[in-house]
Amino acid sequence: MISAIYNFALTTGANRVIRGARIEHVCGDPTLSAEKDYAFGMRIVTTALQTLTIAVPGPTLFDPMASGKEAAHAS
Amino acid sequence: MRLEMGTFPVTDITFGRATRYDAGRLTVDCDAVLAAVRQDPRIASAELEIAKPGESVRIWPVRDVIEPRIKVEGPGVCYPGICGREIATVGEGRTHRLAGMGVVEVSSVNWHDAGGDFVETYLDMSGHYGEMYPYQKLLHLCLVVEPDSTLNEEVKNYAVHKAALTVADQLGEAVRALAPPEYQIFELTPVDPKLPKVIYIWCVHSPQAMSGSPSAFCTATYGLTQLTPPWYLHPNEILDGALTGPYRTAFAMSWTVANNPLLLDLYRRHGRDWNFLGVISLRTEWTTQTEKQLMANQTAKLAQQLGADGAVVTWDAGGNEFIEVVRSIQACERLGIKTVFLTSEDDATDGAPTMLEPLPEADAIVSTSFFKNVTLAVPEAPAVARVIGLPTKIVRRGSTIGLHGGVDGAALPTAGPLPPPWRYDDHYGFTSLSCIE
Amino acid sequence: MSGPLRIVHYVNQFFGGIGGEDQAHVGVSVRAGAVGPGRVLEKALGDDARVEATLVCGDNFASENEADAARAIGAELDRLKPDVLVAGPAFGSGRYGLACALACKVAQGRGIPAITAMHPENPGASNARRGIYIVPTGASTTSMQAALDALAPLARRLGRGQTLGPSEAEGYMPRGTRRVHDRGRPGYQRALDMLLDKLHGRPYRSEVPYAPPERVSPAPPIADLARARIAMVTTGGLVRKGNPDRQVSANAVRYHRHTVAELESLSPAEWEAYHAGYFNHIVNSNPNYILPLSFLRDLERQGKVGRVHEYIYALPGVSTPVAVSAGHGRSIAADLKAGRVDGALLVAT
Repeated sequence: MISAIYNFALTTGANRVIRGARIEHVCGDPTLSAEKDYAFGMRIVTTALQTLTIAVPGPTLFDPMASGKEAAHAS
Repeated sequence: MRLEMGTFPVTDITFGRATRYDAGRLTVDCDAVLAAVRQDPRIASAELEIAKPGESVRIWPVRDVIEPRIKVEGPGVCYPGICGREIATVGEGRTHRLAGMGVVEVSSVNWHDAGGDFVETYLDMSGHYGEMYPYQKLLHLCLVVEPDSTLNEEVKNYAVHKAALTVADQLGEAVRALAPPEYQIFELTPVDPKLPKVIYIWCVHSPQAMSGSPSAFCTATYGLTQLTPPWYLHPNEILDGALTGPYRTAFAMSWTVANNPLLLDLYRRHGRDWNFLGVISLRTEWTTQTEKQLMANQTAKLAQQLGADGAVVTWDAGGNEFIEVVRSIQACERLGIKTVFLTSEDDATDGAPTMLEPLPEADAIVSTSFFKNVTLAVPEAPAVARVIGLPTKIVRRGSTIGLHGGVDGAALPTAGPLPPPWRYDDHYGFTSLSCIE
Repeated sequence: MSGPLRIVHYVNQFFGGIGGEDQAHVGVSVRAGAVGPGRVLEKALGDDARVEATLVCGDNFASENEADAARAIGAELDRLKPDVLVAGPAFGSGRYGLACALACKVAQGRGIPAITAMHPENPGASNARRGIYIVPTGASTTSMQAALDALAPLARRLGRGQTLGPSEAEGYMPRGTRRVHDRGRPGYQRALDMLLDKLHGRPYRSEVPYAPPERVSPAPPIADLARARIAMVTTGGLVRKGNPDRQVSANAVRYHRHTVAELESLSPAEWEAYHAGYFNHIVNSNPNYILPLSFLRDLERQGKVGRVHEYIYALPGVSTPVAVSAGHGRSIAADLKAGRVDGALLVAT
């Protein structure tokens, strides 16, 4: 699941949660230039696809903007 | 801050030759009041009508219900900031209010034109639907007003709400120089230091996210509706209308904010049961996790810095706004501030959780029952003899506050039986309706 | 009803004295009288109560052969005809908790009142198993006495044909039967009372008890993305421009499935958002923000993703009751499975 309000997704049990940009534009950012907007969206989407190839123990957050694409586990 | 509040109970309203208050009877000079309203060239049409408790009357569309309050002494004006009014800090000096009545803002103007948010509330002066709300017991002077149709949506909102405030001001003038039958002093006096310190965290919807505009019309803090970090407000500022204006639901009106029973009881029992520190007002509907959590952190920090031992929390919206509210509660609890959350509940079918994001720290919840009228199984409101306002109401299936039956887009006669609006939602705990299992 | 109260007690292989994990596969057997904690239960129930028989079943048997276990338990209950079935306590043991819930369901299905006890986070207590009486316990067996002391009085009353009051009064876990109730005093007063109780360290009870959300086992990972079929789902309220399907903007009773087989990207000329819970205009300029087709097509072309599934699924995720949402989810999942989809991206607003 790609969501800008990711903690809520984790708390309610979604297992692979990818941080989105903002509710109004989840996969990208219209305030950026067209190229940067697309690159940002692509980064979010590729992070999301990567999580499908990873085994997760439970609700896990993946932050496309964090280096290494790993992030804190939810409680 | 020290505020003297003079209360003038209204027991009847009639039209007459001058606007006067005499032993509870309010006479309204219709022509003079409407002349004041029509001074604003943005107003295209304006009429006044009276609705009384027990009458077979329905008022639609109801945008706001305002209790007339005016500043008699001290800085500023009541209902400061909104619609271009003075922004001087209020809460001091002397205020006079007309109790037991409301000025009802009746207009077809919608909140904004970005979609998703529609005016849906109607009020009945008798019958089972009307009984669910405190307004049925009030006398109402209804301003049926329409703005110049060429204006943009934000200006239309501004114009009609300003018109309603103008009416309220006109009525308030009638009691400016009179001696109030009831009189009370509001002051957060020093108290026994052993009393627990209590703060009221008052979460208020901002229309900025839904409308795409920082100045869309809605419940305002000194006239501002945009998403802002938490404010500290002295309760006297609330009594003088610093937080005012409607949001979507019948319980989110200027009247319920100024007459919030939770605020009033917190004040009443200051020095006896607790040391009431005041109000932290948190704006909701930020649209990233980071912003929501930041507001929660800062709200809790503000409460802690003010010395709060405990907090009572309310909100006036739905949906993802729950997240910053419940995370504020979590943040407070983690700082050792004991919280109680007053809230409505969502659909419980199949044993579903009725809180959007249950968190273990939110362990003291008072429920004002299901927020959807359909879940409450409220029957349709009966036919009425008289309608104040528009003769038809459009069915909007699927709108978050629309009707839930009938053909989408159909216009039902206002006077006929009508399904209740989507949301009930007693934000401030006026009634005893709740849930159990 | 007069005469001694007749109880049947359900326990697992461990508490039944058969063995440990190595015996978790055993089927249903019956012992006369009380066994193990059943003796403590009998004492807690009082003089005029008797554990007539104990049903013992391996935790693995109950979880892997639900239908058979249910049949066997049912047969014993038909023979024994107890006044009430008590199952567990299961504390934090997940399979045991699920088995206890099953036993209670079987009993209730035969008109026999039933009650069990387990930790609130035991999977046996989750939403899917509501409708049975579950007394909350600690996580470990060290709280056995306390658990049985809490459970026994309720078991007695159920066994005597009495109905229990609301969960907050009786102490069992909410059963998913939440309903409107007038509490007789305005909410603001109750809130301030509760605050004082909390501040002064007095006991208080939330009118909305905390229930941990259900957990779902994560699906196993995809071995090779380059050979995978990927689908997209959105709750952002994506609709065809003009909303010809007449989807609502909130409280959706249905979702829509659209084909994107011929599309490289979602164009604002053909798609828009209709969702009453967020500002739609930004997505209206670029619908790929909530249904990232343009990105997936790029990756498909580059060989990084095997195939983009021909169908996308959309609904407005606002104001939908959880029960309805779960139905939509199950239906979409079944469709994806039938379409041999390996993985799906769900974009939520």
